[in-house]
Amino acid sequence: MSERPSVEVLRTPGGELRQVGEELWEIPAHGQMRVPARVFADRELLGEIAGDRSLEQLQNVATLPGILDAALAMPDIHQGYGFPVGGVAATEPPDGIVSPGGVGYDINCGVRLLTLDVSAAELGSRTEALVHEISRRVPVGAGHGGALRLSGRELDAVLTQGPRALLERGIGSERDIEHTESYGRLQGADPARVSDRARTRGADQLGTLGSGNHFLELQRVSQIIDPTAARALGLREGQVTVLIHSGSRGLGHQVCTDHVRRMDTAIARYGIALPDRQLACAPLSSPEGRAYIAAMAAAANFAWANRATLAHRVREAIALVLGPDAASGARQLYDVAHNVAKLERHHDRTVCVHRKGATRAFPPGSPEIPAAYREVGQPVFIPGSMGTSSFVLVGTQGAMERSFGTACHGAGRRMSRTGARHQITGKELRRQLQAQGIVVRCPTDRGLAEEAPFAYKDVEHVVAVVERAGLARRVAQLTPLGVVKG
Amino acid sequence: MSYRWVEHTAEVELHIEAPSERGVFEDALRALAELIGETGNGERVSREVTVAAGDRAALLTAWLEELVYMAETEDLIAEEIERIEIEGGRLSGSVRARRGRPRHLVKGVTYHRLAFEGSGERFTAQVVLDV
Repeated sequence: MSERPSVEVLRTPGGELRQVGEELWEIPAHGQMRVPARVFADRELLGEIAGDRSLEQLQNVATLPGILDAALAMPDIHQGYGFPVGGVAATEPPDGIVSPGGVGYDINCGVRLLTLDVSAAELGSRTEALVHEISRRVPVGAGHGGALRLSGRELDAVLTQGPRALLERGIGSERDIEHTESYGRLQGADPARVSDRARTRGADQLGTLGSGNHFLELQRVSQIIDPTAARALGLREGQVTVLIHSGSRGLGHQVCTDHVRRMDTAIARYGIALPDRQLACAPLSSPEGRAYIAAMAAAANFAWANRATLAHRVREAIALVLGPDAASGARQLYDVAHNVAKLERHHDRTVCVHRKGATRAFPPGSPEIPAAYREVGQPVFIPGSMGTSSFVLVGTQGAMERSFGTACHGAGRRMSRTGARHQITGKELRRQLQAQGIVVRCPTDRGLAEEAPFAYKDVEHVVAVVERAGLARRVAQLTPLGVVKG
Repeated sequence: MSYRWVEHTAEVELHIEAPSERGVFEDALRALAELIGETGNGERVSREVTVAAGDRAALLTAWLEELVYMAETEDLIAEEIERIEIEGGRLSGSVRARRGRPRHLVKGVTYHRLAFEGSGERFTAQVVLDV
């Protein structure tokens, strides 16, 4: 991982950063840090990043046993808990650790993009009807009515197989599965490692959106940036798309809760000292480490099945509003995970890559991506916030060399939820979005205000930094037509 | 007894100051009820709660996790403590809860910046919730 040497230094409350490459800054290892902390950003983003505890959290990650190369942060990094959001850490088995906090509570929170064979012009005045119909079919917030009910055996099948277990119910297709990261199934998933409490929390939540920053957005392809890659991905200007952002719901939240608690009591046994209890971890080869990996994989499979069910509901709504031909033309472009720990091959080693609010971004030629995309690279989606653009990118070789095949996952928050609520009411934001022609469905004004566009960094700026850093390449820009929020 | 929400970029951070250990747990319950809210005026029910952990701070997370679990799986929002006993690493008691759908969800009660300190008539605690 050689980078261009530089003498530029930036002093921030979170530490002294030296520029070591194109849009790449480093805090050298010091104190208990085993490796440096590296941030992909420009000076402007660093100014925002330094405003919270992100850099302190990143340096804490650098102390984890078995961490390789560096604790990495994507350009959308912001303060989280334990790991910063936008944090990446690779550890090496058998003694390197796995940390549930390095994945987060919403295991395999991620995004799925559907493309329609319909243009925004053709959709025209039916936009509001389509957003409304989607909102009727997708339970949001704490709602769970309308979710798929599963028997214990059916839930086990979902935990083991992911969306493949739903095919016989007519949910999803082989093509959808082919166009999903890891084909929608992490190996080694063991339902027996998922507690009864986790099963109870998730029992009636398959096919529900959740709350917080989860959303379902109807969009228009507003700009094609790379025509060759866009053609390979099946994107054309003016086309309607649907972006689905959700995760493993209460089941995944409880898996994280259970295993953080278990590892918190185990770290002393492994002689691990931590600067933050939320970084609780255990060696990958330990009973605690193996149990978490098996439970996390099951929760990740549940999340892919959840997004498959949400996509099914969207297709039902499309069929009702636009007709069955439009529904059958709704193709899944791809589905990527944001919060996951996976065993992957990097630099001739098998390593466990923790991505906490970060997206896998494998390059052209990778055998891990669908054959149809192998010439252009793995699709990466970087959603903006309500009212702003989202971007489709593709992974690059640069990401394999610099970031364990990773790019960022969004614009990244820059303002607290309280701060956002102090600046705008949900009612006013709803009015502003509607004035921009964006149809909004959200059950609470508070939840809407907390996700106001100004609470996030400028997504166009973040995406430009991702591209200049060589982590992914822009393909197309999407702009919102309507949004359903949890 | 008092609690306040402290600025956090993505999540919510709760700070509590109370004259007793029991007061910390009472304030945590009230803060959570305020955070997740509820809809309607459902019936009020009494619910037994028992949690255990290795230290006071972890006991506070276990307490909040139990209340989150109750809200998410049973649509019961705990509103007040009826009875509480804290002995060693174990908390047992009962809460008065209202049946209703929570308006907002809590994904997890984290150990990040977790603290529980104090003695005599002043106890403080802090906990970050993933929302």
